Amino acid sequence: MGRTLITITQQLNETESMLSPFRRTLRRSDQYVFDGLFAAARRHIAAIGQEESLLPFESALLAMLLEQSKEIAVLQQKIEELIKKNG
Amino acid sequence: MAEAIGWLLDVYADEAGITLWLLTNDDKRLCLHMDFDVTFYAAGDFSLLRQAWIYLKEKDARLERTIRRDLFLGERDVMAVTTSNPAGLQKLFGELQRQFPSLNYYDADIPITLRFISQTNTHLLGRCHVRFDEKWLQSIEPLSSPWEIDPTPMPLRILTLTPDCNPAIRKPKQLHVKYGPREYSLSLDSPRLFMIGLKADLQRLDPDLILTDYGDTWLFPQLRQWSEETGIELNPNRDEHRPVMTRKADSYFAYGQVTYRGAQSYLFGRWHIDRRNAMSFGEYGLEGAMEQARVTGIGVQEMARKSPGAGITAMQMSTALCNGVMVPVQKQQVEGTKTLAELIRADHGGLIYQPLIGLHGDVAQIDFSSMYPAIMVKHNISPETVGLENAPEGLIPKTLRPLLEKRLMLKNILSDLNPRDCRVEILKARASALKWLLVVCFGYLGYKNARFGKIESHEAVTAMSRELMLQAKEVAEDMGFTVLHMYVDCLFVQQVGFHRHSDFTPLINAIEEKTGIPIVLEGVFKWVAFLASKRDARVPVPNQYFGVFQDGTLKYRGIELRRRDTTTWVRKIQLAALEVLACANTPQEFANHVPDVMALVERAKQELRTGRVPLDELIVRQRLSRTLAGYKSPSPAARAALQLQERGRQFAPGQSLEFLFARNASGVHAWELEETLAPGMLDTKRYCRLLDRAMRTVLDPCKPLLALEKLF
Repeated sequence: MGRTLITITQQLNETESMLSPFRRTLRRSDQYVFDGLFAAARRHIAAIGQEESLLPFESALLAMLLEQSKEIAVLQQKIEELIKKNG
Repeated sequence: MAEAIGWLLDVYADEAGITLWLLTNDDKRLCLHMDFDVTFYAAGDFSLLRQAWIYLKEKDARLERTIRRDLFLGERDVMAVTTSNPAGLQKLFGELQRQFPSLNYYDADIPITLRFISQTNTHLLGRCHVRFDEKWLQSIEPLSSPWEIDPTPMPLRILTLTPDCNPAIRKPKQLHVKYGPREYSLSLDSPRLFMIGLKADLQRLDPDLILTDYGDTWLFPQLRQWSEETGIELNPNRDEHRPVMTRKADSYFAYGQVTYRGAQSYLFGRWHIDRRNAMSFGEYGLEGAMEQARVTGIGVQEMARKSPGAGITAMQMSTALCNGVMVPVQKQQVEGTKTLAELIRADHGGLIYQPLIGLHGDVAQIDFSSMYPAIMVKHNISPETVGLENAPEGLIPKTLRPLLEKRLMLKNILSDLNPRDCRVEILKARASALKWLLVVCFGYLGYKNARFGKIESHEAVTAMSRELMLQAKEVAEDMGFTVLHMYVDCLFVQQVGFHRHSDFTPLINAIEEKTGIPIVLEGVFKWVAFLASKRDARVPVPNQYFGVFQDGTLKYRGIELRRRDTTTWVRKIQLAALEVLACANTPQEFANHVPDVMALVERAKQELRTGRVPLDELIVRQRLSRTLAGYKSPSPAARAALQLQERGRQFAPGQSLEFLFARNASGVHAWELEETLAPGMLDTKRYCRLLDRAMRTVLDPCKPLLALEKLF
C-alpha cells in the first residue's frame, strides 16, 4: 500500500513472464529445473529488496547461485560421509 | 447556582453555541447549553484576503488579522473569522471557499467535540463537575483524564432492539426489545399499536444507548415512514427539538477492497449504534468504541461507524489545537523530488524474510511491541521533523506517546490477570481499540489525503523497522540461533536444546538493548509448520503457518481457517484436524496423527453426502467488488446477487453475499432466497474439493513422510 515502485516479488514475476518464450522452448525436464532457479531466488526476496539496485535481477542471479552452492556443499558433505562409511 | 458531577455523554453544536448532556451521579440526564465561539482562518494573497474581508463584513462573523502557526510553513499572517453560531460554521465557510477557492483555509472542519474538549480540558465520557444557572452552563471542571487506565464505568441504560429476521430478506413480524434482564417482543402487524408501544417504552425507559440490528438501514427509516402514515409523532432523540440525523449509504474503496456502508441514523442526547452497520464494532464492541471515543474526542456513535483513521486524525487535530498549530482543511505538502536511485532506496515496506518451509520443533516467536508507533515516538518521526537533526518533539510522536503508553499498560495488566477474570474481556476490547488507532497512524503518515501526512516520514518508519529487524537477526545469529522467519515486526528463532521460556530471555534482553524498542516472547511452539506455495512447493510463503504452543494453544495465520470466505463446515473440520495434530509433541510425532485426521475427513464427507451437515454451515460469503453490470464473467457472489435482483433486490459494490454451491444452471443458490435449496441439489463435490484443499494445507508439511498424493 502506498508504494510507487513495484515490489521485488512483482519484478521477479515480470522477469519470469518475460522469459516465458525461453522457458517454453526448453525440454519439459529442463523447465522444472528452470522453475527451481526462480524458486531459489524467491527464497531471498528480502535480501534482493535490500540491495537497492536498479537491476534487481543481478541480485536474483546471485541468490540462485547461492542456493546452488548450498546444495553443492550439502552433497559434498554427503559424499564425504559415504566415503568415510564405506572406507 | 446549581452544580452536578457526572459523565459527559454527548456534545453537539447548536445555533447559540453548544448543547451538552451529562449523566449525573444521581442518575439524572442533564441537558445544558453554553455560549461557544468558533474560529477558522484564511491565509494567502493579501489582495484576495482583503476582498474576502469585505465579503465577510456583510455576514454574521467577527474578523481579525492575526498571526498563527502552520506546522510546515511556520508563522503565517492570517484572517481569523469568528462566529458565535457553531452550527452555521460549515455554511459560512462553504460560501467563503466558493468565492475564494485559492486561499488556504485552516481549522474550518474541526469537529465541535474536539474544540469543546480542547477548550475545557474535559474528554468525552469523562467525569466532570459543572455549575449552571437554569439550563446555562457557567463552568465545567474535568475530574478525569482520557489516559486513566481504570475509568469509573458509566451506568448506561441500554435498550436493544432487534427485528425477528433480516428486513432485506423478508418483512419482520416482531421487534425484540431487551432492557436489562427484561425481554419482550412488540408485534409489527399494526404500525399504529407498535408506534404507541415503542413510544411508551422510550419515554418510560429513557435509554442512553439504543443498540439495534438494522436500525440504520431499516428501523429508523421505517419509524419515520410509520410516523407519517399514522400521525403518531415518535422522536427517538432525547433532545426533542432535533430530528434524527441521517447520512446516505455509500460504497468506498479502502484497505484494498470495496466496502459498503448503509445509510446511518444518528441521535442527539442519546446514542444509536446499529451493530450490523458499524465498521469495527465486531472487533472490539461497545467497550472498544467507548475507549476510542474517550481518547479521540469523536462521539461513540461516529467512532463505532467510522474507521480508526478518522479517530487518529481527530487526535492529531486535538494535539494541533492544544499546541497552537492550525489544522489545514486541505493537505498542502507533496512528496519531495527524488532521483530514481533515492526512490529505489526509500520506497520499501517492512522486512519480510521468507520462512524455511516445513515442520520445525521448539521455535520461539518474539514480537516487537507496537513497533511502528514505538519507532515514531522514539525516533521523533513526524512529517515536520523528518530529515531534521535535534528537532523538538513532532506532532505525531506527541499524539502517540500517551496512546502507546496506555496500550502497553493495559497489555501488562492483561498478562498478569487470570484468563477467566471477568475484567479480561473488557480490557482486551479496550486494548484492541487502541491497537487499531496505533496501526492506522502509521498508514496515515503516507496517506495522500492525510493532513499531517508526508510520504518521507512514512518511508523513514519502514526504513528504521527494516534496520531494527536486521539488528535483531544479527543479535540472534551471534547468540547461535537460527532465524526461521521474520515478518515485519516478529521473528521465529530456534536453537537446539532451547525450549523453556527462560532459555530465550537473554536473547530478548539483548535485542531490546540493541534496538531500544520493547520486545516480548509471544510463546514457544512445540512445533510450527511454515507453508509452501500451492503453485510451487519449493517457494515459501510468508506469514502462512500453523503451530502449537507448549501450553497446547494453537496459532495459525494465512490458512483457510482465517479466511472470511471459508465455510463454517470447512473451518470446523480444519480446526478439528489441527486439534488432533496438536497432540503431537514433536515434529517427528506429527505423522503418527495423520491417520486420525484422515478418518475425521472421511466422516465429515460422509455426513455431507448423507445430508447431515446443517446448510447454514455451508454458506459461502463473498463481497461484490463492482456493480453487477460491471462483471464480464460473474463471480459466484455476482451470480447469487443476480438471483436476488430478479426478485427486486438492489446491490451496491462492497455488499456481502451469502450463498450455497448448488447443482443448478448458475452453480449457486443465494441464501436469502425465500425458497430453500431442494435436498440433493447441493454441490457436494464442490464442498469436498474445498475441504480437500484445506486438508492439504495442514497435512502438506508431513508430505516428505507420507505419500499424500494418494490420499487426495
